Amino acid sequence: MTDSTAPTVKAPAETFRLGRLLKNLPGVSYILIAMIVVFAVGNPRFLSGVNLSNVSLQAALLMMLALPMTLIILTEGLDLSFGALLGLCGVVIASLLLAGWSVIGAIAAAMVVGLVVGLINGFLISYLSLPAFVVTLGTMGLCEGAALIITNGDPIGGFSPSIQAFYQSSVFGLPTPVLAAVAFYALLWMVLYRTRFGNYIFAIGGNKDALRLAGIRADFIHLAVYALCSVTVALSAVLMIGRMNTAHPTVAVGMEFEAIAAVILGGTSFEKGQGWLFGTVLGVLAITILRNGLNLLHVEPSLQVVCVGVLLIVALLIDGGRKRSVQGAA
Amino acid sequence: MGPLLKLINIEKSFPGVRALKDVSFDIHAGEVHVILGQNGAGKSSLIKVLCGAYIADGGSIELEGRTIAIRGPADANAVGIAVIFQEFSLAPYLDIAQNIFLGRERAFTKAGLIDKKAMHAAAKRILEELGLDYDTRTFAGDLGVAQQQMVEIAKALSQDARILVMDEPTAAISDRESERLFEVIERLKKRGVAIVYISHRMKEIMALGDRITIMRDGALVATFLRDEASAEEMVRLMIGRSLDGIPHRTPATPGKAILTIENIKTGKLSDISLEVRAGEVVGLAGLVGSGRTEVVRAIFGADPVASGSIRLNGSALKATPDIASRAGIALLPEDRKREGLALPLPVRENATAASLWRLFKGGWFKPGAAEKVCADLISRLNIATPSSRQIVRNLSGGNQQKVVLGKWLAAGSQLFMLDEPTRGVDVGAKFEIYQLIDNLVKDGAAVLVISSELPELIHLCDRAYVMRDYRIVGHLDRDNLSEKAILDLAVQQ
Amino acid sequence: MSTPNSATNPATKSAGIAALSLSGDISSILLRIGIICVIGVVLSFVSGSFATTDNFLNILRQASMLFLISSGLTLVIIGGGLDLSIGANLTLSACLGAAAMKTTGQPMAGVAAALGCGLLIGVTNGVLINKLKIPAFLATFGMLWVAQGIAYWFMAGQVIYGFPPSFRFFGSGFFLGVPVPIWVMLAVALGCHLFLARTTTGREVYFMGANEAAAHLSGIPVSRRRMLLYTLSGLMAGLTALIYLARVNAAEPGIGEPLLLPAIAAVLVGGTSLFGGSGGIIGTILGAVILTLIVNALNLLNVSASWHPFVTGAIVLAAVLADTLNNRGSHK
Repeated sequence: MTDSTAPTVKAPAETFRLGRLLKNLPGVSYILIAMIVVFAVGNPRFLSGVNLSNVSLQAALLMMLALPMTLIILTEGLDLSFGALLGLCGVVIASLLLAGWSVIGAIAAAMVVGLVVGLINGFLISYLSLPAFVVTLGTMGLCEGAALIITNGDPIGGFSPSIQAFYQSSVFGLPTPVLAAVAFYALLWMVLYRTRFGNYIFAIGGNKDALRLAGIRADFIHLAVYALCSVTVALSAVLMIGRMNTAHPTVAVGMEFEAIAAVILGGTSFEKGQGWLFGTVLGVLAITILRNGLNLLHVEPSLQVVCVGVLLIVALLIDGGRKRSVQGAA
Repeated sequence: MGPLLKLINIEKSFPGVRALKDVSFDIHAGEVHVILGQNGAGKSSLIKVLCGAYIADGGSIELEGRTIAIRGPADANAVGIAVIFQEFSLAPYLDIAQNIFLGRERAFTKAGLIDKKAMHAAAKRILEELGLDYDTRTFAGDLGVAQQQMVEIAKALSQDARILVMDEPTAAISDRESERLFEVIERLKKRGVAIVYISHRMKEIMALGDRITIMRDGALVATFLRDEASAEEMVRLMIGRSLDGIPHRTPATPGKAILTIENIKTGKLSDISLEVRAGEVVGLAGLVGSGRTEVVRAIFGADPVASGSIRLNGSALKATPDIASRAGIALLPEDRKREGLALPLPVRENATAASLWRLFKGGWFKPGAAEKVCADLISRLNIATPSSRQIVRNLSGGNQQKVVLGKWLAAGSQLFMLDEPTRGVDVGAKFEIYQLIDNLVKDGAAVLVISSELPELIHLCDRAYVMRDYRIVGHLDRDNLSEKAILDLAVQQ
Repeated sequence: MSTPNSATNPATKSAGIAALSLSGDISSILLRIGIICVIGVVLSFVSGSFATTDNFLNILRQASMLFLISSGLTLVIIGGGLDLSIGANLTLSACLGAAAMKTTGQPMAGVAAALGCGLLIGVTNGVLINKLKIPAFLATFGMLWVAQGIAYWFMAGQVIYGFPPSFRFFGSGFFLGVPVPIWVMLAVALGCHLFLARTTTGREVYFMGANEAAAHLSGIPVSRRRMLLYTLSGLMAGLTALIYLARVNAAEPGIGEPLLLPAIAAVLVGGTSLFGGSGGIIGTILGAVILTLIVNALNLLNVSASWHPFVTGAIVLAAVLADTLNNRGSHK
């Protein structure tokens, strides 16, 4: 290496950091802007208050899955069991409510289910170093199966209306689920960028040995990421069954794909454990707006999934040239 | 005042290798103690014993006169030993401050949240003590090698390290960065930190070292105060062992040019031109990191070539590894376990991996024929294996290397590029490999050898190119090929 | 898969045995045959109707479907990759094949459509992985949802059923008293086995699966081999779709996806390592039979079909655990 190529690390001015941030925005931000313009021009209803509130409600649930998925992908992992677990937890809450449990009790039970699944995933992936995608594919089968066993394959309806009431409620004119998602983002942001646990998540992704050398029980932290994320998935089940007012055992299978797509769209890298939380928000918005816009254009839901896949490939192409991404935000 | 740390009669063995032989070594506070030695001299084993990665088989370690036990990295940390390896232990997606205090954030945590301001201020203070003005918000992954090294030093200091071990710290940094490092080392000395400094760059050793210890073949050869010995004397001791007893190769008469490359430029290399003719062994000398491996990878098509021409037997070659191998080029990579062999597969699969296209022209694989080819190779190369079904992982280093060579013999290559062909190979197998190289050129093949062992290069080569900083800086023909001549060119004076 | 101990035995050098043993170590094949026998014996005690020729053929016929979809996956996994799109590929190939057959009335049109669709999906996977450098599991996972989405859109809630008898012969007919799908399974198994054990490309696939970097530096054209594997996997999904159509006589978009987990289970239970470079097609046949027997056992024990995904998930977890422990044992 010659002198001229050695990077200098002088303290840059604040404005310079902002400039760097803009320059390194993931490709999805441009796609997002383009989509908003196209849909707004294509259909005047797109920017109507009703539709925007609809979009934000749809984004809320995906956000609840994509944000914890970001944490997992930051550890160079993956969780394919999210969708199936979401379905299972919905079924657990609904059937326990029907059995006369209190709302709190039913949600607590679902969180225990999430914890158990997360511990299985985390233990096998962290302590035994098994590949995450196969492990979580296996637990996906377990969750899907358990939901089918509980329900015998039928949707569960007619449970306490308080869940739906919660979903449809609003605070200061803003829908509660949206506020919940925003609060969840704020919480995860604090955890990721302002706590030791957050530091360790980034460390696991970049260099797990560095964490071990620093005397931290890296395997335990790694396990905890999976466990905590699965618990939050269990909580999101409240939003899902609130929206549909029924709990269907397998309806959420496939949501893990959209969650993963949102994270990747947001510029978090799969293999390098680098990324940023706000990018995931952009990814969630891109997917939700795409689906909403396609809805307004009367495109079938099944084709919308295809479009999400295409969107993902386009974003990966745009980001392809950029090896270095931003961690930003912090 | 007695020494801060003392190693007494340390022994460490691995199956088939005695890595450390009765090594005694000490270091005082505020002293730079240089360990000088070639690859495989035992330097890294010694470091690993110090930092707890290896547990010594015998001997004892004393800290300020008290015997201590180092059974793991935590023990080493606890007594204030910090090692800065060539491969860094920073987390790339954490910033400088987060890395310095990784695992010790508690000091800055209030109500569960990290006080970033305080943490950055503390990091800044430590860096300033080292005379460094870095932005502590920079991610470690965005730092250059020299800066990562500085952060590692800062991290060690923040843990109150009293003994700092640096493994070839200037191997991959520029002169100006090295000078910066030496300034920092001076500051550390003043603070009473003991520094174990591993290097083979004579210039900096003479400038930095208060004491210099020379290691060779796992044993301690000599310890000098700085002015007690000349650089020539030290190099002689470091290289020491000559290949007495084996006659030099009789130089073959070189034939036509097999490989001619002109002005090759890649991301790292610039202006590489060289020629290898049939029937000769050409050396590619230089220190580790001087670009030797990059040259052979570029020729093989494993790394992209930006400009320049590669000609094989006179015709231009635009190579990818599959084209190069079919054109008759063989590459024996530096790291045979990662790049040369499929360790979980048997000898037969490995030995025939590069020649299937040639052995079975129609694409139909005949196990019997492959078995025969493999059996021939086993007897021709004298590979010690119970059968061709043996899993390669279970072979010794020397026999593994013979399998990689056999892979290319079966492919009928005419140009063999051998990157450190005897690394991690026992002495017996080493000589067999030399013999094999000799036979190759006698049969009219061309050989390009990379080796860090100078006696080996001098023994093997008819002539050699010497590299430094990703350039070829000199060419030595047989009459001028000596250890001193190579070092003069390879080491920046 | 060989343990150091068995490998150090100066084993017989018979070429034939050597070829077979790489396609799934003799001892591991015998172990799996043993498992099948044990399950079989237990089941014949549980139910009198188990140990009949009809039931055996029935089990084999069910296993043949699972085997066919797993065969391409076996090749991909041996080469160090993974294909999560096979189930959705089967779905889409079946739907397009059924539609082509129905609209033209020509069985050959259906065959061409199904195989063409399978091939195209396989090639697309290969391009995504080779050219866009997307990790295999992510690329094929995305493809899963894309193919599935297209299938649902294309079928628009319809079921296509009723195919010509000449076509249905391949799913429901008998040849020499044995159901045709079993013959197809044997033919595909033979083909895959010959490919893996008796072609230079097959041998290179093992090497590449065991160490891709070393394969690259040994002059093996890794990208082209990988392309071939994903293409074959896609093609096998298309073929499976045809046999499925011929047997069930109907196509709808929910058919393929539930086969993904059992297929992965069959490959892993068959002794092919998820880490690449070992295993073989014979193991996958045995794995498919074991999985089918377990389902058969659940049915005989009157366990609800709702349990199938749960049990399959548990088998996948157990198999990947055993595979990793086994691999680690022989690594160090």
